[in-house]
Formats: sequence, C-alpha cells, structure tokens
Amino acid sequence: MAYSNKVLDHYNNPRNVGALDKSSQEVGTGVVGAPECGDVMKLQIQVEGDRIVDAKFKTFGCGSAIASSSLATEWVKGKTLDEAAAIRNTEIVQELSLPPVKIHCSVLAEDAIKAAVEDYKKKNIKAAPATTEAQA
Amino acid sequence: MERTCPACGTALNSPLVCESCGELLEPEPGLTPFAVFGLEPAAEVAADALRKRLLALTRRTHPDFFGSDPGARRRAESNTAALNEAWDVLSDDIRRANWLLGYLGGPDEKAERDMPQSFLLEVMEWNEAVEEARAAGADTDATRTLTTLEAELLAERTSLVTRIREGLLPLPTDTDRLVELRRLMNAVRYLDRTLHEIAELRLSHASSR
Repeated sequence: MAYSNKVLDHYNNPRNVGALDKSSQEVGTGVVGAPECGDVMKLQIQVEGDRIVDAKFKTFGCGSAIASSSLATEWVKGKTLDEAAAIRNTEIVQELSLPPVKIHCSVLAEDAIKAAVEDYKKKNIKAAPATTEAQA
Repeated sequence: MERTCPACGTALNSPLVCESCGELLEPEPGLTPFAVFGLEPAAEVAADALRKRLLALTRRTHPDFFGSDPGARRRAESNTAALNEAWDVLSDDIRRANWLLGYLGGPDEKAERDMPQSFLLEVMEWNEAVEEARAAGADTDATRTLTTLEAELLAERTSLVTRIREGLLPLPTDTDRLVELRRLMNAVRYLDRTLHEIAELRLSHASSR
C-alpha cells in the first residue's frame, strides 16, 4: 500500500511534535489508543479564553497515525474549543487520502482532539467549584 | 458425537476422520475450534491431552498418506489445516479467550476500545523508553532500563492472562464481565506491542555490535 504524498510529508516533517505542561490549567491533554494495533497518541492543546493557541502531539504508531495527529494539531490551532471538537475524522481521511484500512488512524486523531478538549473543560469547570467546596 | 462413519459405521470421535477405518470425512462448514477436536466450548483446555489428540489425528489426516488420490489428498490437506488452525486458537490463552469472547457475544476490540487515561499514559511512557533506548544505542543506561521495563511488562502480562483465564471461569454471559475481559485483552495487546518493539530493538543492537 502506498502512502499519499501528504501522509509522507507529515510523516517526514511532523508538525508540532512535543509536549505541553500537562499540569498547567491552560493545557488540555488527550491520550487515546487503538487496541487493534497498539498505537497510542497524545494530543495537547493550550487554550487562551476560548481559543486554542498552541497544540502538540506525540504518536507511537504507523505513518498514517502520525500524519493524522500532525494534521490535527495544525487544524486545531486558532480554532475555538467547539470548532476543534467538531473536526471529523472524514475530513482527515479526505485531506490525507487515507485508504480504508487506515481510517481508524483518523478516528484516533478525532478522538484525541475530543479527549484534549474534554480534559481542558473538565479541568476548568472543576477548578471553579473546587474552591467553593473547599470553603464549605 | 452422534455421527457414525459412512464407510464402516463406527461411531465417530472426530468430525475430520474415522479413527477406526481411516476414512477421511468432509466436516460440516463452520466447525468451531473446539468442535474440530470433538469438544464443547470451555474456558480451559487440557493442553497435554489436546496435543496428544492433535498428533493422533494428524497421523490419520496428513496429506503425505494420500499421495496417489488427488481428491483424498485435497481433503487431507484441508482437514490437517483445520486441525492446525484449531490447535493454534485453543493452545494459546489469549487467542482462545478472544475466540470465546466472540462466541459468547462479547465486544471485539473495535466495539470496546476505551482504556483508562492512566493506562494509556503508561503505554506512552513505555514507548518513550523504547524510543530513548533506540536513540541511545546498545550498552547505554537507556537500554539497560529497558531490560527492567521488559521484566515488568512480562510480569504484568502474566497477571493479566491469569485474570483473563479466571474471568472466563465459568464462561460468563453478562455484558459487564465480557466488556471487562475485552479491556484486559486490549491491555495485553498494548503490552505485546511494546514487548515486540523491545525484542526488535535488542536484535538490532545485537547485530550492530
């Protein structure tokens, strides 16, 4: 099976590889995995207000999984949380011309974005009432 | 088993061959791995007895004994293949558990993929350790750390396999237990991938010496 040029480009020059401070209040972290193949993907977003200002990823998996997560970090930057969470795996499939056997890689990337957004929201909803509970 | 041999009329113990007269049989399609050995699906198999049975049946079905008759030879090949495939599933704890989970109507790894974040973070760390050792090369601290990690992962695998075997006794039917078993099997999958990577890295380090 041949990888598309876009997959190869992201694979050879992955964008935004790295890590953000997981403990930071402004950072949401999503870790997802594909039990079919054992791939794991970590995607982190840095949020200011309602907007994602930075994103990093680290993926252990095949070329398509790396390309999908690399593309995902490019796409979420500058988007609001809701816009990012609305990214569909089918858009990733289309952009990277992923073959049917690699669709699960794009699903992984979509799930990673959602998980990161969720994590950020959970952190920041919890943060507010936590103080009130502590006082009570 | 109720069937009798169409050639000699003896009651059959195997769906593949008559052990009395040696007649090769045409099995019904869709035989389960257990049925190939004349067994009912069960959590555990007696490995020694099963291996003896495999050898005894293979002595009856091996294609080398049917060299002169092309039709019989094809039947022998397909029956021997059925025996080997069934053995592969039944003799491996994880493959047997995986088959049983499907048979019991449990979720496959596509339907049940949720793993705790803490576990997935751990998987990330294992992969990072492998990556570090790969970059550092043979006979480095990073590579020695990997030997410790490998021992830990093997121990964890053993304990997961034990939990899976125990979880199948008796064969469960309630969804919660089936889901729990799938999660344990998924964990084994992640472990196996890392163990495989460590083994490959060791090979490449050994050959670069």
